[in-house]
Amino acid sequence: MAAEDVASSHSMRTDSAGESKRSCGFVQPGGHGGSGDTWRRHIVRQLKNRDRNQSDSFQDLIHFYSRLLDKSSWTNGILSRRPLTDSSSVSSLLNQNDQLKKTTGELAFQVLELQQQIKIKLLVLDEQDSSLLAERRRFSGAFDVRQELQGRAVQVQEENGKLKMEYDVLLERQRGAETRLREEKVREEHMLEDMIHLKQQAAARMNSRNERRSRAREANLQKELQSAARSKVAIDSSSSAPTSRSTSPKNEHQDKSAEPRHTRLFRSASATSPRILTSIRELFNRKRRGHSVCSQEEDQMSPVGICLSARVPARALQVLEAHEQGINTVRFSSSSDLLATGGTDRVIKLWEVRAGSLTHRATLEGSTEGITCVDFDSAGSRILAASYDKSALLWRLDDSVPKLTLTGHSRKVTAARFSPLLHQVVTGSADRTIRLWDLHRAACVQVVDVASYCSDLVCSENFIISGHYDRKIRVWDTRAVSCVQELPAQGRVTSLDLSSDHRQLLSCCRDDCLQLVDLRRWSHERSSFRAEGFKCGSDSTKAVISPDGCFLAAGSADGSVYIWNLSSGSLETRLPDKHSSSISAVSWSPSGEYVVSVDKSRRAVLWSDI
Amino acid sequence: MADDKDVLRDVWFGRIPACFTLNQDEVTEREAEPYYLLLPRVSYLTLVTDKVKKHFLKVMKTEDVEEMWCESEGTPLKWHYPIGVLFDLHASNTVLPWNITVHFKNFPDRDLLHCPSNSVIEAHFMSGIKEADALKHKSQVVNDMQKKDHKQLWMGLQNDKFDQFWAMNRKLMEYPTEDGGFRYIPFRIYLTMSDRPFVQRLFRPVSPEGNVHTLGNLLKEMYPAAIPNEGEPKQNQVVIHGIEPLLETPLQWLSEHLSHPDNFLHICVVPVPTD
Repeated sequence: MAAEDVASSHSMRTDSAGESKRSCGFVQPGGHGGSGDTWRRHIVRQLKNRDRNQSDSFQDLIHFYSRLLDKSSWTNGILSRRPLTDSSSVSSLLNQNDQLKKTTGELAFQVLELQQQIKIKLLVLDEQDSSLLAERRRFSGAFDVRQELQGRAVQVQEENGKLKMEYDVLLERQRGAETRLREEKVREEHMLEDMIHLKQQAAARMNSRNERRSRAREANLQKELQSAARSKVAIDSSSSAPTSRSTSPKNEHQDKSAEPRHTRLFRSASATSPRILTSIRELFNRKRRGHSVCSQEEDQMSPVGICLSARVPARALQVLEAHEQGINTVRFSSSSDLLATGGTDRVIKLWEVRAGSLTHRATLEGSTEGITCVDFDSAGSRILAASYDKSALLWRLDDSVPKLTLTGHSRKVTAARFSPLLHQVVTGSADRTIRLWDLHRAACVQVVDVASYCSDLVCSENFIISGHYDRKIRVWDTRAVSCVQELPAQGRVTSLDLSSDHRQLLSCCRDDCLQLVDLRRWSHERSSFRAEGFKCGSDSTKAVISPDGCFLAAGSADGSVYIWNLSSGSLETRLPDKHSSSISAVSWSPSGEYVVSVDKSRRAVLWSDI
Repeated sequence: MADDKDVLRDVWFGRIPACFTLNQDEVTEREAEPYYLLLPRVSYLTLVTDKVKKHFLKVMKTEDVEEMWCESEGTPLKWHYPIGVLFDLHASNTVLPWNITVHFKNFPDRDLLHCPSNSVIEAHFMSGIKEADALKHKSQVVNDMQKKDHKQLWMGLQNDKFDQFWAMNRKLMEYPTEDGGFRYIPFRIYLTMSDRPFVQRLFRPVSPEGNVHTLGNLLKEMYPAAIPNEGEPKQNQVVIHGIEPLLETPLQWLSEHLSHPDNFLHICVVPVPTD
């Protein structure tokens, strides 16, 4: 390696050349022309020149020369071999010729043979071709068949798929049906169980009821026995009673009518006073008694149904806890020998009134709520009750199960009365309607809308009178079902009562005042009855007119029974101390003999004048 | 650049017509015909003279054959110089084609290297490339190359594939733009009259002042006699690849474009022919 002794001694000449290079962009020696690029162009030109002189002119020459050289060497090789062949004789050549001819003939023969073979082969080939064609045709036919079969297979598969789907659907449905069946079975079992349970309950209830009934019967028997022991005394007192206040007998010959038609007779004989009529009946009865050969017992029973004059009660004959809860209503039957009480404990109790005492005879069940009102029909064979359970119920007296249940009211039924038309009843309700029911059809035949809560109602042959909370008493014509008249009251009407001759209407109001209206005159003449200490205890406190129309009776909130004399308009008597709570209702026996009062604390009191 | 690429191609495909004749002293069976051949300037003699050898062996007995060597006008031709350099140095001013005498005897061990196979040429070639890159890039580029890249350079030269060779050689010619050129320019200056085979020293393409060095700068530094004095007739020719570039040609450009495949810029300084 040469030593590194680069000195910076440049000649002037090269410097100028260097400068000219720099000015034309040396770093990237581009192809752009310029005076400074002369060196580059010089080089290119020189290179072209060099190539032209040195290679281009010699290229072809050398190429041809080498080819010539190759050829000459080849020919040399051939030439060097020739002298050997030349040395052979002509005879050998002729021999060779003969041999060649022979071989030519053989070859020609071979050619012929081969040609024949070719022909045969061609024939075979043709045959094979034709058979191939046939095969091909068969193949195509088979292919078509195959395609067809494939198509069919696809079709069948599709059908199978559809069937499968349908099958699945059916399976699903079957499963659903099975589950439903299972559910139904379970439900059936449940229902069966429930039914069995209910039947058991019903049987138990029936058993208990039977037991209770038999016990009651025993008790009744015992009471009858007791009353029989006292009966002798009772006969004496009752026989003296009718005479005590009887008036002089008249119209003795008026004796054709049968007993059930008595009321009619009285009404048609409007001019006469009820007191006289009853005394006539009494006389008639007495006369019959006199002519007949009746037993002592029969004599005892008969006077209870007839009243010539009501007797003002003076003392309590019997006090008893009649119900298990408060008593709302009480009513004597028209023959005076039966008393019905209805209470909040959902039952109606029937009491036999005999010899100044009450004997429990039957309990009527069927209501699901408390009883608000009871009523006997005129024949005394059926009993009607209104209930809190929005229905009215009808019993036959010999059956403790209700014969009919009249449903339709939307609130509690406050009043239920038999109409004088035997097959009709009328109910009033807190739902502000009055309904008329046909007992034959057991259906509501008429609904009357009223503006106010109906607290009580009474029925006459042609009209219905209802008392309302809006301080009105309304009179309805049963045929036209329209409000005929509105009578004002001082307060909320709690009860109404009609006198036995249907001439006087008694109303009890919350302003602690009883009011009596003469319906005959349709006038606004009315008489009011008040008393010191009398207080109307509830919205359903019931006041009554005595069967002879001479007295009014009502219970007060202080537990006393007040009796007013109608003719004098003043308080006749006051019966205190037997009730400990507010009296809800009183009832006067149609015979005029007894008064029964009931209160909210389960107590019933039988009053009489003895 | 199109011109530059053309320059590269012209350099690569430079050819010299040569006429090989067998030495008269050789014993032959018959007369040997001369053999003509276009020699690639950038290649090496022993790499391209297989055909010549085959041609002459036809007429020779095998027992008489030793290693072949060539001689031009009495000068043994060093196979380890590129052919172009040999031609420019020894026969640039003779009549073409270049007459080369082929010898099979008396190998001049003093003047020539033995060349038993092509692998020796390959080793020589690669050592040249590595030396050049040591000068240009402190060997960084050539050391980063893989074995197959080296092989690609050699195969490109051996099979005369310009594109194959330059695809790889391009990397060896790159330099950082801010430096303005290689670290040192790899060059060799051959002198016909000198005792030494060639001049090779360190020389930068750019002066410390930032000026670009030219061919003239180089020669002035290395061999001032090559540059004619003012007013005097030219005495020496500066020949690269058979041409005389202008002295103001930038040295960096010359190194990039006129270098031989071994990445050296081989510059021949020959006397101007007298006639």
